[in-house]
Amino acid sequence: MANKDEDRLLEHEYDGIREYDNPLPRWWLWIFYATIVFVPLYYVLPGRLGQNGGNVAEYEAEVAAYKATQPVAPPTISGERLLALSKDREALEEGREVFTKNCVVCHGVDGGGVIGPNLTDNAWIHGGTPSAIHNTVIVGVLAKGMPSWERLLKTEDLDHVVAYVISLQGTKPATPKAPEGVVDTVAAAPPADK
Amino acid sequence: MSTHLDTFSYDDAIVRKFLWATFIWGLVGMLVGLWIALELANPAFNLGLEWLSFGRLRPLHTNAVIFAFAGNAIFTGIYYSSQRLLKTRMFSDGLSRFHFWGWQAIIVAAALTLPLGFTQAKEYAELEWPIDIAIAVVWVAFAINFFGTLAKRRERHIYVAIWFYIASIVTVAVLHIFNNLSLPVGPLKSYSIYAGVQDAFMQWWYGHNAVAFFLTTPFLGLMYYFMPKAADKPVFSYKLSILHFWTIVFLYIWAGPHHLHYTALPDWASTLGMLFSVMLWMPSWGGMINGLLTLRGAWNKVAEEPVLKFFVVAVTAYGMSTFEGPMLSIKSVNSLAHYTDWIIAHVHTGALGWNGLLTFGMIYWLAPRLFQTPLYSKKLAEYHFWISTFGILLYVAAIYSAGITQGLMWRAFDETGRLAYPDFVETVMKLMPMNWVRVAGGTLYIVGMLMFGYNIFKTWAARPAKYDVPVISAPPLAKVYVDPHPVPAGTGVWARFTGVHWHRNWERMPLIFTVMIVLAVVVASLSEIIPTFLIRSNVPTIASVKPYTPLELAGRDLYIREGCFNCHSQMVRPLRHETERWGEYSKPGEFVYDHPFLWGSRRIGPDLARVGGKYPDLWHVRHFQDPRAVVQNSIMPTYAHLQKRALDFDGIQGRVDAMAMLGVPYGDAVNRAPAMAREQATALAAGIEATGGPAGLGDREVIALIAYLQRLGKDIRSAPVPAAGGTP
Repeated sequence: MANKDEDRLLEHEYDGIREYDNPLPRWWLWIFYATIVFVPLYYVLPGRLGQNGGNVAEYEAEVAAYKATQPVAPPTISGERLLALSKDREALEEGREVFTKNCVVCHGVDGGGVIGPNLTDNAWIHGGTPSAIHNTVIVGVLAKGMPSWERLLKTEDLDHVVAYVISLQGTKPATPKAPEGVVDTVAAAPPADK
Repeated sequence: MSTHLDTFSYDDAIVRKFLWATFIWGLVGMLVGLWIALELANPAFNLGLEWLSFGRLRPLHTNAVIFAFAGNAIFTGIYYSSQRLLKTRMFSDGLSRFHFWGWQAIIVAAALTLPLGFTQAKEYAELEWPIDIAIAVVWVAFAINFFGTLAKRRERHIYVAIWFYIASIVTVAVLHIFNNLSLPVGPLKSYSIYAGVQDAFMQWWYGHNAVAFFLTTPFLGLMYYFMPKAADKPVFSYKLSILHFWTIVFLYIWAGPHHLHYTALPDWASTLGMLFSVMLWMPSWGGMINGLLTLRGAWNKVAEEPVLKFFVVAVTAYGMSTFEGPMLSIKSVNSLAHYTDWIIAHVHTGALGWNGLLTFGMIYWLAPRLFQTPLYSKKLAEYHFWISTFGILLYVAAIYSAGITQGLMWRAFDETGRLAYPDFVETVMKLMPMNWVRVAGGTLYIVGMLMFGYNIFKTWAARPAKYDVPVISAPPLAKVYVDPHPVPAGTGVWARFTGVHWHRNWERMPLIFTVMIVLAVVVASLSEIIPTFLIRSNVPTIASVKPYTPLELAGRDLYIREGCFNCHSQMVRPLRHETERWGEYSKPGEFVYDHPFLWGSRRIGPDLARVGGKYPDLWHVRHFQDPRAVVQNSIMPTYAHLQKRALDFDGIQGRVDAMAMLGVPYGDAVNRAPAMAREQATALAAGIEATGGPAGLGDREVIALIAYLQRLGKDIRSAPVPAAGGTP
């Protein structure tokens, strides 16, 4: 940009301020035109550059694509494996962490029950076999405020926390909540339990 | 032609008043900002006091910096420059003073009512209806004063700065009035006459254009006066001024819906918002180019003159944020940035950089002229420039990275297709270091502000015993105008158009000019407003969506009072990571009874659109009492006062009646709202007690808020299980 002070000054003046008669910068004008041309293009262009059918259609395509590649298979684990994990120090340590982070609010730090039921006694509302507990954690009890943890926790975290809950059986919490449900024993897991 | 000369003087006393108000409110607004930044970094800064909680203070911060700091800065510059550009004293000194004191009274009213929880829950339009009326009255007084000054001007043509002032004054009036239409329920409580999708549309038509016509166009006007003055250089291009002025005025209005991408707003509106935002890029840059190129040949002055340094960085910040704005309006970019701190970084580039630095530069230039003594310390101004520039960089760098981090964590999936960070608090904790850097950046900016205040104070202290009031003389306008440069006859249409002689004609007819602006703004507005309100398919009704019960309505008003919407959205976007995390995406028909809409614009905390039934009632009781006892590392303030304060059952009838008047089908509740609320509250409280919670909550505020939260997002579940929260 050479010395443009030679540009033509317009004659008018306001409180000492004057203005040049410079043309619009060429690049400025062309980009402006381009953004205007983009408007009709957006309505006709396919794919990512264009409208793509609208938000909901795009969402449904996204979900369909996901479902196609990731068939919905709820995590499974055998009762025996859970029982074995409930004796594994490392798994229990992991499980305790998950429990502390997610479960203590309703079940108490020691599993004695607060809003949710006591997990240390042998009374169970939704079954006390390892698989039943695992299932309750996965499905949740939505009506009572227990979320479905299936998509909130990683598969191994689900296993570990269930193992930890099993390990709480028979411990003595500080302020145990009265037993709820029917007696069921985790140890007596029927062999049919997958 | 008359050779008679009028003699007159300029009213600089009013400019000095606005200048001081700019500094004082600026400091207050920024300190509140710093405080809420600390609250985000550590919730202990909420001090357990309801009126200092983030939800109450955040609107105070935004209102103070926009309407008190930037507002008074605009008035300072407009009152100084308009008189000189129009060669006349203001139309009425009385109106000037009324404008000044009226505006300050409104600010004081805002500073008192917002922390007390009186709010309309619409961003930058939080102030309740009596204050809204006061704003309208003061604004009209300002407009009369301004247009009166135009009418008695002694300069035939109006300069580009004045065009921008006119556009700002008329458009702000239109925006303010139509967004704030509401039905009062009490002295400081009202319900928006619009609901759900329409309310959201109106709010962001307003909200976006508050940015346009309060923080952009008036400041461009100031730039067009103070930049060439301070640089002592002509403006780069008159033609560019014309084109970028009109395109800004016309295009900005359409852009509002880009604040609502992927929400329940219909696609067509969102698309228009995006396309017009993209078209706005060059019109905005027109202002930047015209400002920066005005400095051609004056860059040596920039090195010596702090005023110009402030202007250069201000205009550059304007250029950056007006590039970023169109970029953020592109839907795919927006899906990452929306609800995150990215938006906060974006607005602070604009507010701290463009509005703040332009204001400082302007006042450093004005102070010696207004106080009639040299600036106390140019060196100190220089330091102020560097410290505030560095502060801005620190602030925005931290918050940009926070925003992008947050957005990426929310949408991240692991290899099994599950959310990689399902625990929301984890995404909050990740931002903590950035929150502290933001505090540091903000602190530097405020230190700069104190240096600025000291410098101006010392300059003022050295003022003469009596200000000199120069007498100006200028000829009045002749009755008949004879164009000294008429267009040569026989010129082609295109040459006439690009020769902009027609525009020159408009410039000597402020009334026509104003009418053209109003036309541009109104045509643009109605093109979106009319279809939003009239096309029925925009909001397909959902039969199972029913009005809130009287108790839930009272709870909703508490949600508004506490400013929950400042941190929690109620809008699940149709994106897979959103539906994985929050549940079914939100439908337009779910909000038909929401006066006002509460979709929120930010997720400092989790989305609440589908929170109903997610947690047991007792969970909420404990969570309000002490959030961190329930959710480790939560940064939510405590709401223990909700359990102490009695719920005003009798006041609920008036609220239900007002809603019924707005068309909400309340049926039986219009006769016995308090009784219905009591029944629901008693049942809810009994349930809480039965599960081991505290007794006696049945007449406390917390019960209404829990009832409301437990209702949220449940109506569209075609309900195989009867709702526990109790539907009407």
